[in-house]
Amino acid sequence: MRVLTFGWEFPPQQNGGLGVACYGLTRELLRDGVEVIFVLPKTQETAGDARFLFADDERLIKVLRTDVSIKPYMQGDSTVDVIVGYDSQGKPIIRSRTIIEEAHRFAHQAALIAKSEEFDVIHAHDWTSYLAGVAAKIASGKPLILHVHATSYDQAASSNVDPAIYKIEKECFEMADKVVTVSQFTKNIVVNKHFIPAKKVEVVYNGCNMYEPPQLPPTLAELKRQGKKIVLYHGRISIQKGVDHFIRAARRVVDVDKDVVFIISGSGDMLTQIIEQVGAVGLSDNVKFAGALWDEERDRMYQSADLMVMPSVSEPFGLVPLEALQHGTPSVVSKQSGVAEVLTHALKVDFWDVDEMANQILASLRYPVVRKQMVKEGREQMSKMSWRVAAQKMQQLYRSLLQYVTT
Amino acid sequence: MLTVCPYFHVHQPYRVKKYRVFDIGNDTEYFNDNSETDLNNRRIVEKVANKSYRPTNKILKELLDKHPEFRFNLSFSGTVLDQFEAYAPDVLESFQELVATGRVEILADTYHHSLAFFYSVPEFKRQVQKHERRIKQLFGVKPRVFRNTELSYRNDLAKWCEDNGYIGIMSEGWEKYLGWRSPNYLYNPPGCNKIKVLLKNYKLSDDIAFRFGNKEWANYPLSADTYADWIHAHHGDGQTVNLFMDYESFGEHQWEETGIFEFLKVLPEMVMRHPDTSFKTATETVEAYDAAGVYDVPDILTWADTDRDLTAWIGNDIQRDAIAATYKMEEAVMKTRKRDIIENWRKLQTSDHFYYMCTKWSEDGDVHAYFSPYQSPYDAYIAFMNALSDLQLRVSYAVAEREQQELEKQESEPVPEETQKDYPDVTNTPDENETHEVPETPEPEPEQKPGRAGWWGKLINKIPFFKRPRPQRTSS
Repeated sequence: MRVLTFGWEFPPQQNGGLGVACYGLTRELLRDGVEVIFVLPKTQETAGDARFLFADDERLIKVLRTDVSIKPYMQGDSTVDVIVGYDSQGKPIIRSRTIIEEAHRFAHQAALIAKSEEFDVIHAHDWTSYLAGVAAKIASGKPLILHVHATSYDQAASSNVDPAIYKIEKECFEMADKVVTVSQFTKNIVVNKHFIPAKKVEVVYNGCNMYEPPQLPPTLAELKRQGKKIVLYHGRISIQKGVDHFIRAARRVVDVDKDVVFIISGSGDMLTQIIEQVGAVGLSDNVKFAGALWDEERDRMYQSADLMVMPSVSEPFGLVPLEALQHGTPSVVSKQSGVAEVLTHALKVDFWDVDEMANQILASLRYPVVRKQMVKEGREQMSKMSWRVAAQKMQQLYRSLLQYVTT
Repeated sequence: MLTVCPYFHVHQPYRVKKYRVFDIGNDTEYFNDNSETDLNNRRIVEKVANKSYRPTNKILKELLDKHPEFRFNLSFSGTVLDQFEAYAPDVLESFQELVATGRVEILADTYHHSLAFFYSVPEFKRQVQKHERRIKQLFGVKPRVFRNTELSYRNDLAKWCEDNGYIGIMSEGWEKYLGWRSPNYLYNPPGCNKIKVLLKNYKLSDDIAFRFGNKEWANYPLSADTYADWIHAHHGDGQTVNLFMDYESFGEHQWEETGIFEFLKVLPEMVMRHPDTSFKTATETVEAYDAAGVYDVPDILTWADTDRDLTAWIGNDIQRDAIAATYKMEEAVMKTRKRDIIENWRKLQTSDHFYYMCTKWSEDGDVHAYFSPYQSPYDAYIAFMNALSDLQLRVSYAVAEREQQELEKQESEPVPEETQKDYPDVTNTPDENETHEVPETPEPEPEQKPGRAGWWGKLINKIPFFKRPRPQRTSS
């Protein structure tokens, strides 16, 4: 079986959970003998790509590049600068294009690729690839699966949904043969907000890669020496992620225990607003901004923190609590997340319930046994959430569509 | 001759409300949830009264009236009796009517449905005595056969019961300890010569308690006729068939729609259809038959799960932490001699609190298999530990106050001791003094509600933590 896959993020590029998910799923599909043609937009070209091509598991993969430029986590009217050609002196001609224009260009390329490649089924990840998936379907007549890692409702935290993106989502979902979501939470959005029949939408939970991480030298040693307890936020700082609710909970926590320090790791369009909020509620001593941490720096922070909080307003899945668990740190997660459906061993709270969030933070710092147990049992549970299970479910879907088309 | 000894266990805990860290030091009411959730104890009792207690008692009364041979046993936790009295007095009256027939025996139990025997025998004894007084006061009888929380059992418990005058004790009839032998005989615990063990026939008991309404079960729907045949099949292979189950099996665990009430209505008649089959209470059973051998249970045995142990209550770290923290307070709690503190501490010993923290079945996100009023075992633990933290604060203040009073007393003119005490002394010789702790009045003394004023406020304001103003709410 050969699958023509469209995506716009792939490790080792440092973006969000999407690339990790595409990688995990692709790896397991390849292991099962499924051939994957993974189409990435041009800007994904990195040194990392080459490394991943050399990896043993990825021999069957064929990376195609198209002449578009898409960057992650953008609104429809965000613009990107693209080289559209070269002048007579060889200097690049740079134009600004909106992300939606880019998605359409990606789709145009997709149609060409679909005509020249042999494959059985089309699988497109995230909204920027939906148009590409649909174009490939029209060009080839092959069945199409759209994989929803996030919706316009998540990005906008349910208010000010970008109408242009919503239109793309809805129209493409209607064109698809199957829509796959990463959680029941996201399925509910697709059914209730995009009006897609529930039976057309399948939930395939993300997996995770369980490994024993190396013990890194601790960070924030001075704070720890002073007996401070460390609560970590790691993620983009945007309306979707609920950092403002987290700061309100932090205020409530510090009222009771001034020895709690909150570390914010990440950047995003709400950063200035959050810094101002921290000042306004008088938490400058207790909230530290660490910038966006990656790789070893991020892992050291996971290992040093006593607790991780994921306060998302709307989180289709949410990989961060699992990463933290990997490093021995338990989490408070918002109930408005997919991971809350699969991870039993976390504290769960409505993102708006600031009092309860503060209660859970305080209680888990106060009673260390609860943290110990969430890590111990959580890691056991994690070891059963493999990408293998997700890949097997995807293969079943592929096959069911092939039957549908051929008979 | 084959007799059937049915025993129904009636229990409701005082569930801890969503008690938050901020409430510690500010709220002494741990059990007064008034939301529309299953944490609202009054709401639960009213719901279960309608679904189970009222209709079942009506049927049981009719059966007793109709069949002079019909007999059964009941056991009550003190916490359910207190809640009946407060929220559903008519249910309590209907139970009193059943017992008044003289054919319904009440078993001994711990007042607070606790696992105290395995943590503190003195405290266990006080709870058993408190329970006995309560049963005497409400029903006018004195239990002679013992059953422990969750049917938990061990050789030394049987020995304790024999030493304290009980003639029988109930336990699970489990193959691990029975071997090839049948649960349908009486046995002796090792080292005991008087007390006999009645063993639950778990196959026949669980057919009603767990499987009755299960449409996947091969024997669904189970008729009383068939069930009576299964009982009769034990003729020649046993003397007593002990059917032990939660009372709430009727109407609450097995809903009315399953036909459970129709089943119950005709069961005695079907059982007695066979000429040599009848019913006996636990005491009658113990007096009628000799022990057939020794039932040796060195480790804790319960009626729960496939493991038949306490792992559903103390199987994980948070459960063990919570129960250890509870019993660790014993000495200080008793030292306060304050009735409200002692009572709150005992309500927190109820085994259900620890059961709600169980993570045994929550793997793979399968939370449906697991019943709890809390959204997760961790929520249960946090609410419990916060309430316990508040109680610890109250205990430390009360002990400090008590020590201060005693100091002043020593300095001033000696005064007759009785007039000095708010509460009877239960520290030195707790067992005897305990009998004075609860006078024979049905209404327990209302709990103190210390506000910020008075000694409580003075003490609390000495701690910087509580002096701070209530947190500001930010507007974002």
